[in-house]
Amino acid sequence: MSAATPTPALEVHNMSAIYAGNCALSVESFQLAEGELAGIVGANGAGKSTFANALLGWSRGAPKVTGDILLDGESISGLTTHERVRRGMLLIPESHLVFSTMSVSDNLAHAANPTYAVGRRLYTTDEIYDLFPNLAERRDHLGGQLSGGERQMLGIARALRLAPRVLILDEPSIGLAPRLVSTVLQTVRTLVDEGLTVLLVEQNVKAAIRAVDRLILLERGKILAEGPVDEMKADPRVAEAYLGVDA
Amino acid sequence: MNFIQQLINGLVLGHSYALIAIGWTVLLGVARLVNFGHGQMYMLGAFMTWFFMSRFGLPYFAAIPIAVGVGVAVGYLMQRTMLQLTIRQDLVSVMIVTLGFGHVLDGAASLFFGSTGQTLDTPLSVRDIYIGDIWITWQDIAIIIVTILFFSLLKFVVEKTRVGRLVRMVAEDPKLALLAGINIRKIYLAVFAFEGAAVAIAAAMVAPRTPILTSMGFDQLIITFVVVVLGGIGSITGSYVAGIALGLFAAFFGAYVSAAYSTVAMFVLLIAVLVVRPGGLASRSGAH
Repeated sequence: MSAATPTPALEVHNMSAIYAGNCALSVESFQLAEGELAGIVGANGAGKSTFANALLGWSRGAPKVTGDILLDGESISGLTTHERVRRGMLLIPESHLVFSTMSVSDNLAHAANPTYAVGRRLYTTDEIYDLFPNLAERRDHLGGQLSGGERQMLGIARALRLAPRVLILDEPSIGLAPRLVSTVLQTVRTLVDEGLTVLLVEQNVKAAIRAVDRLILLERGKILAEGPVDEMKADPRVAEAYLGVDA
Repeated sequence: MNFIQQLINGLVLGHSYALIAIGWTVLLGVARLVNFGHGQMYMLGAFMTWFFMSRFGLPYFAAIPIAVGVGVAVGYLMQRTMLQLTIRQDLVSVMIVTLGFGHVLDGAASLFFGSTGQTLDTPLSVRDIYIGDIWITWQDIAIIIVTILFFSLLKFVVEKTRVGRLVRMVAEDPKLALLAGINIRKIYLAVFAFEGAAVAIAAAMVAPRTPILTSMGFDQLIITFVVVVLGGIGSITGSYVAGIALGLFAAFFGAYVSAAYSTVAMFVLLIAVLVVRPGGLASRSGAH
């Protein structure tokens, strides 16, 4: 008798996103395993953010999104954005990172002991401040007074306070100095090592390759290739277009 | 004219203005929404109190909760009707819909209550206090006490409680609030229901000071608008201070210059303050 295949943390079947009759995204099948750190890369306009937003039912321009999304084997496609968040699907968007007129501690306080997070890891404020010492020092500062790196940290910290099951980060490296990008991605790796499942959407392919276990290449709204990061580095479509290496 | 008497008149009038504006302060200042039917909701609150007292013989303090209940229902229904516009942050359409809603309330009230002025006498408004030449009613004292308590409670709720934090989060960035797991529909509905309740309380307290007419809504809207803008959009304390300042200004202007031009003078004051302090009296970012 063979061992049962574990249920993926996240599954997507036949997803499409259509803006005014134009198909921006068409993903037949996608899976994210428990405790995995996967990265979606692709050029500008490839549909990376559309995919991330569609997973949450959250986007500008209200595209028509079809397909099925399963979180821990249960369909969440019919749920609203805030209901998906309460189930543990967390998105840290490219912009809209923090509430800028509220203090760091207020940004972190709102989700204290959410009743809907039963059975999931809920990071305490102390754990958050251990993980992000800069935020501890600036807990009384307004979100709008933080630097780009600190805002990114606060975005992640806010998500951790909501007991994420799957955490999606959309372009966390954007606007950050390379050293800060490394710090952010190291933090994400630490969280994955502690058991969190993370999907990293990234245009900075070199940075993504250093951080993730598996790479997915998206082009024109479709998954062109995917696999372990070492294999994908050798794939000419990735090597030539994104790493500047002749295959 | 007795200066002290005018000072008291101004303070009572100012607290009345602040109390009438409290719903809009939350709506525009805290939740970034508008309701141009606010004045007609005030009129409805006054007439509901009068109706249940005069037709059903209910005591004043029993008629107030019914008027508040009607205010909550109207506020909720109004927001329920235009919820999609609110979520899309289509503020121009929200403005027009609420304006239309106000006119519907105006017409319905004229049809039901008639266009004759009525008097809302309460056990407090008919009891005068004289201290030498100075005159005040118990209703006036009640207005001041209720306004101070209401503003203090609101400031505490908005700044110190979880509910207040949720409202501020939705106000600042509704899309990010969704990603924080907040049901923004519930918040928008609750804020409008609160506004309905607040304006009904204000009407039940303030309307006994003057005859009530179904056409009085627009004047109340204008005063509310001036108070909220003058106070600095986003500031609860600012609205309170602006209400008092405006009341004192109206009382002294009416007594020493001309009561007929008080509204015009209020707008001149509004323009002057906004030129000097574009953010209003409490122009500090994030102030409540």
